Amino acid sequence: MTTTEADPLAAFADEARAFLDAHAERRSTDAVIWGKGEDHTGYFSEDPPEVEQALVDQARAWQRTRYENGFGWITGPESYGGRELSGVHDLVYDQIEAEYDVPDTGVLSLIGLGMIGPTILAHGRDEVRDRYLPAMFRGEVIACQLFSEPGAGSDLAGVQTRASRTEDGWVLRGQKVWTSVAQHAQIGMALCRTDPDAPKHKGITAFLVDLSLPGVEVRPLRQMSGGAEFNEVFLTDVHVPDDHRLGEVNGGWRVALTTLMNERASVGNEASTGVARVLSDGFLAALLHESGHGEDAAARRRLAEITADLTAAEYLNRATIRRLRSGAQPGPEASVSKLLWAQNLTRIAHLAAELVGPRLTADTGEWGTFSWNELLLSAPAFRILGGTEEIMKNILGERVLGLPKEPS
Amino acid sequence: MTKTTTITEGELEDLRGTVRAFLAEYSGEQAVRRAVAADPGYDVDLWRRLATELGLPAMAIPEAYGGDGFGLVTLGIVLGEMGRAMTPGPFFSSVILAAGALLASGDETACSTRLPGIADGSVVGTLAVVEADGAWRTDGFATTAREDGGSWVLTGEKTLVPEGSSADLLLVAASTPAGPALFAVDAGAAGLSAGALRTLDITRPISRVALSETPAVLVGDLGAARQILADVLVRASVALAAEQVGAARACLEMAVAYAKEREQFGRAIGSFQAVKHKLADMLARVTLADAAATEGLRAADGFDDAPPAAVAAAVAHSVCSEAFMYVAAENIQVHGGIGFTWEHPAHLYYRRAKADQLMFGGPAVYHERLLATLGV
Ligand SMILES: Cc1cc2nc3c(=O)[nH]c(=O)nc-3n(C[C@H](O)[C@H](O)[C@H](O)COP(=O)(O)OP(=O)(O)OC[C@H]3O[C@@H](n4cnc5c(N)ncnc54)[C@H](O)[C@@H]3O)c2cc1C
Repeated sequence: MTTTEADPLAAFADEARAFLDAHAERRSTDAVIWGKGEDHTGYFSEDPPEVEQALVDQARAWQRTRYENGFGWITGPESYGGRELSGVHDLVYDQIEAEYDVPDTGVLSLIGLGMIGPTILAHGRDEVRDRYLPAMFRGEVIACQLFSEPGAGSDLAGVQTRASRTEDGWVLRGQKVWTSVAQHAQIGMALCRTDPDAPKHKGITAFLVDLSLPGVEVRPLRQMSGGAEFNEVFLTDVHVPDDHRLGEVNGGWRVALTTLMNERASVGNEASTGVARVLSDGFLAALLHESGHGEDAAARRRLAEITADLTAAEYLNRATIRRLRSGAQPGPEASVSKLLWAQNLTRIAHLAAELVGPRLTADTGEWGTFSWNELLLSAPAFRILGGTEEIMKNILGERVLGLPKEPS
Repeated sequence: MTKTTTITEGELEDLRGTVRAFLAEYSGEQAVRRAVAADPGYDVDLWRRLATELGLPAMAIPEAYGGDGFGLVTLGIVLGEMGRAMTPGPFFSSVILAAGALLASGDETACSTRLPGIADGSVVGTLAVVEADGAWRTDGFATTAREDGGSWVLTGEKTLVPEGSSADLLLVAASTPAGPALFAVDAGAAGLSAGALRTLDITRPISRVALSETPAVLVGDLGAARQILADVLVRASVALAAEQVGAARACLEMAVAYAKEREQFGRAIGSFQAVKHKLADMLARVTLADAAATEGLRAADGFDDAPPAAVAAAVAHSVCSEAFMYVAAENIQVHGGIGFTWEHPAHLYYRRAKADQLMFGGPAVYHERLLATLGV
């Protein structure tokens, strides 16, 4: 009943495998050999700029290879080099690609291709779509999300960056913050206030900003994990042509919702990062034994609890895929999965710290000890980015369970 | 794979609707309370109707033995609804434990003589494994079997036997010189006595069963009980998980409904974030548990794209036990004082949640079982 011959996706999967076999190495094995391989557990990098630039170049090159072989924009329109296939095909491809050693393309895909691309497609004018979409999906143009501001985070509709009319377009003034990948990006999607007198959700307009324009300044912000992957972006009298407006004037909130919906689906999808590797049963089991806690009942129990929850979270993703396959709309799983993803990674970071013990606190050069700092110091961000834990719970409570809204 | 008859998503939803409507009408809270207060701890008439009118016990039994041949995925719908309604009755012990053990034994004669009765509801079966220490063992039973002129007699004491006092057929694990084996004992057999015990979960009757030179029939091979009981455990864990998810969802729905209607400080309590976020956490745990149970049922049915059954069963038992216990406790908290009263149904779920969690050994045991399936 679940034979693959009957599955219309099977041909696509075969095609994806053939492409990957021709262009990438299979990941060695699932077996974990302790002390061998990369010693990274983190989500954020702490690499010096030249190393990071090299990784970005590799990401661009791999995205280009995907695009040229028909796997760069599986769901996209054919007129932009896409395949016009379903989101399920996308998921199937991701699952298969995770079996191969390929460059991590997160810098391009998590925000730009995952969130901004679909928004441009849905709300951009033809000129903007023609100019940027193929370039983005070919790996040439990286996009960032200029939403948060010093005074507007969870309450995103409170943005104060102003956009005022000029003869041929708009002039933008304000400050954005926490902007991931802006240091590598060519364009950003900005939410700006265009009618300060309207109710806050009704006075916002969305723009696509070319970051090479005069008046745009990107300043790196160092994160608690050491590296600087997010930034402050100052917009000082930046002239944006009207054809770079996304959606209606004062209709920016609707445009933002397209991005946010895609954000929920994007977060937690890190198939080829160090994080994905430490999530495997084999890796965690090796940690238990190699750290000398193989017979420690309390440690075994904590490992079992985390393993059960991680495995069930994977089953939840499979169930979601099965539902999408049969044509259902995405449900509340995205917010549930985001919550659980942050919780599970946080629990793993603290369990690992306890198992490794004092060797976590200084870099003795021993494999698999100090490196757990990367996950430990990434973990607080998981509960904040893409909507905080508290905001996710408000969404589940109000939109899924139908509980009364916060009194305002 | 055990599944022989396929069923569509739509048909599963129809089945859910039918069972839910039936149980809402005939096994509502008051009916449950009446049934558990009377002998034998469930409504015998309702049980008969579930068997004859709805044909529920027959669903997952192979057609060759008088059943419909559906798999556990289908049966999971029924179990979820019974968990939701807390319907007392021997469904779990007879259909999951006893029929499961017979099927796992591969004993053609035992299956063809015993399963049709379980399928049509005329026979209530149970499985007697546990002894004084409460552990779900697969070897080393104090109960012994002795061969006596070509037939067998059993001597020993079993405890925590579900429906032990009312079952017509007991499948008993006992030691033999060739290793542990499974035996069938009929109610009324010489030297058999059963006494009902006070229970934490008042909706599942439990007994102690004593056997003294009691005639028994060997089921499956001598020395095969270890494998049979391991197979039963996989099947029973995912079946229990399906029940747990149904019950957990009932707790969540109860708490949400109350949070919308109960007012304090001039607002519905569900508008306070402390309560709203508690309910969101409950939803997240129930959603996760549902996924774990579903994958466990699919794995037990042998779906091609499912994970190994022993892994999925261990994950399902662990995650669903934790989720049900958590929402059962938080449901009482959301209800405040009324939630702590005997009259409120919340404690029935709380009792069931803890008894379920301990049924096959409790967290420390099932966590080790999970690690063992992963070779840790
Ligand atoms: C690593 C990282 C990368 C990021 N990348 C980007 C990016 O690329 N682009 C971008 O635009 N933004 C980005 N962000 C910003 C992120 O979206 C915001 O940080 C987040 O939405 C929270 O906003 P805030 O930081 O202003 O915190 P605040 O909104 O001030 O929240 C502070 C605290 O108050 C709580 N709180 C706020 N409102 C409520 C409420 N109604 N109910 C209960 N609790 C509440 C929050 O949960 C939090 O605990 C990134 C953040 C991080 C950490």
